[in-house]
Amino acid sequence: MLLVAAFAAASLSAQQSAPPVTPPDRDYLVFVASEGNDQISLIRFGPRGARVERSRQMGTNPTELVGPHGLSVSPDGLWYYVTTAHGTPNGSIWKFSTADDRQAGRIELGLFPATVQVAPGGHYVWVVNFNLYGDMVPSSVSVVYADQMVEVKRIPTCVMPHGSRLSTDGSKQYSACMMNDELIEIDAARMAVDRHFMLAKGHEMGMTGAPGAMTTGAMDMGGHGMTPPKPGDVSCSPTWAQPSIDGQTVWVACNKASDLVEIDVASWTMRRRIPAGEGVYNLAASHDGRLIVGTNKRGKSVSVIDAVSGKELARIPTSRRVPSGLVISPDDRYAFVTLEGVGSEPGTVDIIDLNALSRIASVDVGQQAGGIDFWKTDSPH
Amino acid sequence: MLLLSAALILFQQPQQTAQLPPSPVKRIEIEPANRTITAGDSVQLHLRALDENGAAVPNAVLSVKMLGGQGEGDVKPESFWLVASSVGKFPLALVATAPGTRPFIDSTSVEFRAVAGPVTRVEVQPKSIAIVSGQSLRVEALAFSRVNDRSHEPVRWRSSDAKVVSVSAEGMITGSVPGKAVLTASAGTASASLDVRVVPATVARLTLFPAKSEVRQGDVIPFRVDAKDAAGKAISGLTPTWSFSPGDGQLDADGHFVAYRTGSYTVTATLGSRAASANVTVRERDVRRSVTVVGRLPRTGFATSEVWIHPNGKVAYLGTHMGGDRLYAIDISNPAAPTVVDSIQANTRLVNDMQTTADGNYLVFTREGAADRKNGIVIADTHDPLHPREISQFVDGVASGVHSVYIYENDKYGKYVFITNDGTGAIDIVNITDPLHPVRAGEWRTDRPDASRYVHDLDIVDGIMYASYWNDGLVILDIGNGKWGGKPDKPVMISQYKYDLDSLYKEVEDVSSAGFGRGTHTAWRQRGGKYVFISDEVYLNGDIEGAKDASSSRMYGTLQVLDVSDIEHPKAVAWYTPEMGGVHNVWQAGDTLYMGAYDAGFHVFDISGELKGDLRAQHREMASLNTADMGGAVKNAAFDWGVVLNPKDGLAYVNDFNNGLWVIRVNPKKPATPALP
Repeated sequence: MLLVAAFAAASLSAQQSAPPVTPPDRDYLVFVASEGNDQISLIRFGPRGARVERSRQMGTNPTELVGPHGLSVSPDGLWYYVTTAHGTPNGSIWKFSTADDRQAGRIELGLFPATVQVAPGGHYVWVVNFNLYGDMVPSSVSVVYADQMVEVKRIPTCVMPHGSRLSTDGSKQYSACMMNDELIEIDAARMAVDRHFMLAKGHEMGMTGAPGAMTTGAMDMGGHGMTPPKPGDVSCSPTWAQPSIDGQTVWVACNKASDLVEIDVASWTMRRRIPAGEGVYNLAASHDGRLIVGTNKRGKSVSVIDAVSGKELARIPTSRRVPSGLVISPDDRYAFVTLEGVGSEPGTVDIIDLNALSRIASVDVGQQAGGIDFWKTDSPH
Repeated sequence: MLLLSAALILFQQPQQTAQLPPSPVKRIEIEPANRTITAGDSVQLHLRALDENGAAVPNAVLSVKMLGGQGEGDVKPESFWLVASSVGKFPLALVATAPGTRPFIDSTSVEFRAVAGPVTRVEVQPKSIAIVSGQSLRVEALAFSRVNDRSHEPVRWRSSDAKVVSVSAEGMITGSVPGKAVLTASAGTASASLDVRVVPATVARLTLFPAKSEVRQGDVIPFRVDAKDAAGKAISGLTPTWSFSPGDGQLDADGHFVAYRTGSYTVTATLGSRAASANVTVRERDVRRSVTVVGRLPRTGFATSEVWIHPNGKVAYLGTHMGGDRLYAIDISNPAAPTVVDSIQANTRLVNDMQTTADGNYLVFTREGAADRKNGIVIADTHDPLHPREISQFVDGVASGVHSVYIYENDKYGKYVFITNDGTGAIDIVNITDPLHPVRAGEWRTDRPDASRYVHDLDIVDGIMYASYWNDGLVILDIGNGKWGGKPDKPVMISQYKYDLDSLYKEVEDVSSAGFGRGTHTAWRQRGGKYVFISDEVYLNGDIEGAKDASSSRMYGTLQVLDVSDIEHPKAVAWYTPEMGGVHNVWQAGDTLYMGAYDAGFHVFDISGELKGDLRAQHREMASLNTADMGGAVKNAAFDWGVVLNPKDGLAYVNDFNNGLWVIRVNPKKPATPALP
């Protein structure tokens, strides 16, 4: 499965002033999880294009899909962790060796474990128990001690906790509550909720402590980000929380409102709402603090936003439907974007040049590609 | 430039993880000290993190994690309430994390055990017996909790007149002098009685019938005794003490005997000092047959899921899996050349189950893995069977996905489809009397205090549903039969058959680890018979180390045969455990049971007559086929999902997950070859 990268000048009008595409001078390796067929793929992208380096099936029994959803590589690059959404009924987190995909552990977590991130120190893995499908009751965030694969804490948070990220220093964990229309801030040392933030348009407000009973938001998960809001709907339906590199800001993707809520961490107040693409879903911040990149689930595109001005620099169409996860390479040159596709369409990874602001390569993987993380760079192969 | 590039690559490499300092916590104290809990109850756990001097460590974040038994209970993370939904073991990890230090984890010293709740029912079978003076006999009583868990609480036996009948703690009774006594078996506050009549030991002649038998392996012989006194007068109603040799078979207290091996057996009945024996000659069951692969339709694009035959017998529907978004309509009018004629595509990545209405005009199939995560079922018009056409969907409350469906049609109530809800573990009930407008009619779910509820498969016969409820076992519901007051929209539970899956599959834990997947997966009510066949799905917890591809795993499972003559008290009577492979879906037609056995391929069993004991040992297996060839998505490795027998052509349509459809004939028994003179 080799798709040669098209290192040609992009034709999008939004990119006409962008620098020309220059080929990569090294290989970039990212792991991708495909929820639709229980496949994990390692993508190699470099001067020779993008290809699937290797892939493996995961799960316990081929006929009962486990649904790999989130994926995160440990900072030391030795392990990758995958959350699986489906079980009987609880899902799990799995630990695999990056070198050879050897399974090194699995433990059961809550209902539909979803977004996963290894903390910067490498000791803990944070997972939201999304509970997308069960009864509409508050769910939780699990903290797993990576070395021994033991869940050391399950922190009750809100209904349908979704996209979550830790601050760069690992002191705070932020998660979006799709049904509560709230952002949750957890003190990582205490493993307890510190504050929450209400996100509905016109009702933005920072609060201390954990959220109470669900106060806003419809009981419709909106086709998990695929259904547009009804007229007059001011809800956010947050799907991702992304702290800035300096830890002073958190951006929350409002999937229904198609914008970002920018929150000042110190004062716990909203600074502004930043327009994004239709159905903005997952976010990533560049390591130099310059860019916010978001997948637009309904808009079949990726928004690249100037983090300072809030201006959308480019909206880049994706090669397939239902863009989902993304990761930015450590040198900030590329964004790797997963596209779920629909039905039996393969999943795809689009590679976007963040200097040229254009899509330069695509490679197909298993169906419903979602979770993605960067592993390492390598000499060109 | 090269140097710079190399430096950049180095910069972008993963960074080594620094070790956390050791924890100040040296021990975690937990209360209560009593580690036994009643199934259905909860217990509040109290934890304290202590340092090496036994002093509490301030700011330590405490946690309790279940290391097993997640299907049987839960620990509430915010309150540390341990909820025991059903019988099981709950090994716990106690964790204390002092900020900035390595977590202290005690994962070996604490295990709670949930036992059956208070006994509410004791069963003794039969209700009355007659023995002779001097005769000893073992009787058995079983105790159950309110939720049908088998209790291990000791049964206490008491005789109303020990001079007539004495009874030991183990249930061994001995008749002393003629008379009557009532034996009472008690456990907790429940009890049951057994009337015992002791008659004088006047048996002068004891005869066992049949005195001589020639049977096949697996044939059940119901022995009975004929006792006469010295005057030749019959003494009726006596219950003998039974024994047999050699020991490779099964003899029940009612005198029903089954032999596993060929050869001669002696069955003995004893009444006091009198004994009678009968000889049983057991020959081969001799049911083994060859098979012929009549037709083959390899599938390569997707893994293959369920198969279903249209009532006209000329069209098969075949589902797709592992990213498959379609269901194929296959012309099987010439079974030697099954041909895909059309397909129906849906917003799904797995079509796990399907069924047509009895008239064949409509088809219902399941959706899981939808792109917008709004799953459910599709209803298709199949008036033109080879060209199914979607006419409606049902998604209300089943966004998580539907794994299995079963259609129930009732002249009084209308047409319903019962569907399994992946998210809530409920059986959702949908009225499809108007197939264009399916309407939610209700739901039913097992009563358990935590969310670990999962239902996998459904079967319905005569208004009674047999639901395979994973950790809750087999659940039997009146959904329209009416005898128990059930209606399609208001099911009523008739009975439940639970069993200890961890004990049954200890081997899997031994070769894998705790937390392996297992549950009641499929139930099939015998049409025209008294049995329910239930099969478990059991798989290893992780790959086999060092192995890959087909060698990296294997399935496990057991087929249990339940006698539901008394449907309120299902009784396990027989079983089949494959030497290799699992037991997945089954299909019964007449005296034959067909099975897809995953990695063990396709199997066919003779289920004629009464079923008792180990069916494999009795050589009841009629045929098998390793459904693997170089066609299909996965080459040369069987993963047989199931089978449907087409009544129109008598052929087995076997769906293999790895490689597509097989059309198999189980050939007639070859005539015996004449012996050489």
